[in-house]
Amino acid sequence: MKKWLIHDSWRHIIAISICLFALFPLYLVVISSFASSGSLQLTSFIPREISFKNYELLFNSPTIPYLAWVKNSLIIAGAVAVLSVIIGSASAFAFSRLKFKGRKQGIQLLLLVQMFPAILAISAVYVIMERVYSFAPSIGLGTRAGLLLVYLGGAMGVNIWLLKGFVDSIPAELDEAAKIDGASEVQTFWLIFVPLAAPVLAVVSLLSFIGTFNEFILARLFLVDMESRTVAVGLQQFIGGQYSQNWGPFAAGSILASIPIVIIFLSLQKYIVSGLTAGSVKG
Amino acid sequence: MRARYSPALLFSPTELGPVRMTYLIRGKIALLLKIIIVSLTSAILIMLAQSAFAQREYVISAFLALTVLALALTYLTKISIPLKFFIPGILLLTAFVIGPILYTVTMSGFNYKTGNIISKEEAIVQVKIRGIEADPSGTSFDIKLGTYDGEEAILVSDITNLKYFISTKDSRTPVAANDVTLNEYGVAITAPNFRILTDAQMAGADKSYSKVQFQYEGEYFIALEGFEAGIVSRQVLEYLPASDEFKNLVNGSLYRDNGRGNYALVDDKSAILEPGWRAPIWFENYSKIITDPRVREPLVRVFIWTVAFALLTVLTTFALGLLLALALNRPIFGRRTYRSILVLPYAMPSVMSILIWGGMFNTEFGAINTLFGSDIAWFSDPNFARVAVILVNLWLGFPYFYLISSGSLQAIPSELLEAAAIDGANPRQIFRKITLPLLLQILSPLLIASFAFNFNNFNLIYLLTGGGPRSELDGEIAGATDILISYTYKIAFGTGTQDLGLASAISLIIFVLVASISLYSLRKSKVLETFG
Repeated sequence: MKKWLIHDSWRHIIAISICLFALFPLYLVVISSFASSGSLQLTSFIPREISFKNYELLFNSPTIPYLAWVKNSLIIAGAVAVLSVIIGSASAFAFSRLKFKGRKQGIQLLLLVQMFPAILAISAVYVIMERVYSFAPSIGLGTRAGLLLVYLGGAMGVNIWLLKGFVDSIPAELDEAAKIDGASEVQTFWLIFVPLAAPVLAVVSLLSFIGTFNEFILARLFLVDMESRTVAVGLQQFIGGQYSQNWGPFAAGSILASIPIVIIFLSLQKYIVSGLTAGSVKG
Repeated sequence: MRARYSPALLFSPTELGPVRMTYLIRGKIALLLKIIIVSLTSAILIMLAQSAFAQREYVISAFLALTVLALALTYLTKISIPLKFFIPGILLLTAFVIGPILYTVTMSGFNYKTGNIISKEEAIVQVKIRGIEADPSGTSFDIKLGTYDGEEAILVSDITNLKYFISTKDSRTPVAANDVTLNEYGVAITAPNFRILTDAQMAGADKSYSKVQFQYEGEYFIALEGFEAGIVSRQVLEYLPASDEFKNLVNGSLYRDNGRGNYALVDDKSAILEPGWRAPIWFENYSKIITDPRVREPLVRVFIWTVAFALLTVLTTFALGLLLALALNRPIFGRRTYRSILVLPYAMPSVMSILIWGGMFNTEFGAINTLFGSDIAWFSDPNFARVAVILVNLWLGFPYFYLISSGSLQAIPSELLEAAAIDGANPRQIFRKITLPLLLQILSPLLIASFAFNFNNFNLIYLLTGGGPRSELDGEIAGATDILISYTYKIAFGTGTQDLGLASAISLIIFVLVASISLYSLRKSKVLETFG
């Protein structure tokens, strides 16, 4: 018994020390969010009081429209999650199951396009959406709808690629059977494939939800109005350089915004890990 | 069988057997829905195409029109079944990914930077407007904007001489002093046949009025200086459309199109007229990267750091992740708890984590300095800033390699390890000679993918250090922690000169680099798939 303990002790030492490293920043944010001072300076690493001042500030202060930011993030990320998976899965299905001329070239083109770092095309996206604004102000630069469109376009490459991997792993017997029974490709897609792949589609859409929630630079460029910002942009602008003053409310805000993402992530861990080994890297 | 979808058969369902009824109903409803959706979308798109055309955005307008055509052809005919699945994706991808990429490629061939942003026509107009000179005594008048006989006009008050006149671009009409009403400053506000602009009209008048040269005496005219004052000026630079030149009317010198987006003095090429326009310079943005030391040197420095940063990140995250995976490769007590704690950094939204770390590295109040009792100015010293960047990225990235390493460790056949143990190899030898090489082989595509990802890890650099610290001397914009992508972003959107042409050229070079790395790793992973 004792020998076993010694044998495994190095494992525990490593695991515990790295756990401390992993938890340190998170612990700090949590205790600063409950500190009444709201400043970056820590009086002690062990909290002496629990105050909800920072959280109250977040919901009541007119200078921090936190709830509006959360709402924007949820709406935009939610819409991207649903729409991009519907559109992406149709393309992935076609790539995986249909035979047509140019299929291979299409896949290669998609792969190549997907490798173009989105940030590098940002100036072009900016100019294009500026022009769109000149004739359709409701979907141009500075609007949430415009940002949604840009996100949808950007999500296509990754999502089609990821979904194609999943579709490939679903056995083709069922849709072949449907085909023999006389179902058209479109029917096979809606009546056989979508119900069959529903769990996978849900996972991919949650992944794009996380990805969109995390997107910063396009949102920063697009959403200038205080009220129309996403959580990521709002909090970044709020803290921007002013760490010492706004730390408390920022800590509280980032915890609240992170909780749903962490929960989604942990519950999907199994799928995300298998998706990771399939070659995608979380952004 | 797909005949069910054609409108002609919709109303004669009898030829289909009862078994197919469910499909038919679905087909019917689906068809109706489809027609409604396609027509609605088309209606909206046509509307947008029209307004785009009205705003002279011809490319966008043409794209929208083609979209409508593609939608109608795909969904209302049976031209191609795969297209029915692809069209929405293709359209979005074209509009927001491929379009911008092509635009970037185009921009990289242009002299497109601050001072050369507008088109040539606009530039000529601007040069003409700026090519004026005030009269030697610097005469200026108080004015009021308005219309005279329906034409844009100004009511000019020469307060010192108590003279008043109305001036348009073609005529000047003196007004007698007793025909005008004056405000409290002695400025005329009404005159016969002159209608002053209302405040609402003033807001929109800026563009048109500032371009007009209102008649004065001889070669002199009145140019607006804001809405309240006019300056007596004369045109110095005249545009000669026949030879596409600007002529200085005072000294007769000529300015010619220098082929790079500016009019330059014939005798002295460095004397150019502002503003210029975006002009094609083909590969100059690319050659500048190699030949111009002011571009090359910072770029090389940034490139070296980018590679070092990406390599160090992959090494540190992989090493720590693997160490953990090895430590937890046995069902020891509390393994599940460890595991759920260890993935937390990966589960947190990275934007939030990076900002939190930014606060922790604060010199005065940050937790890191408090913890170690130090007072290091993390983001002001190049080396400390680099250490901070690597450390934060280690925190963000090690769980990824922990997760995939522990998965891969399980994939290594235990017979192999047992056989080695029987042969008398000690655990360290087993790890070095068997586990690690096998693991590296399995994980190499992911290691390369991680390298490619970190090569372009914009968020980390931008949010943590902003690329800094940098020396403010000689206008250098590259900082010590700037990686290629954040540096490119600065070139395009920075506070100084914004050079979209150069930024686009660098973008494309990065794209080629990253794409070749990724394709290489992909090919490698394919090879592994076929053998494994």
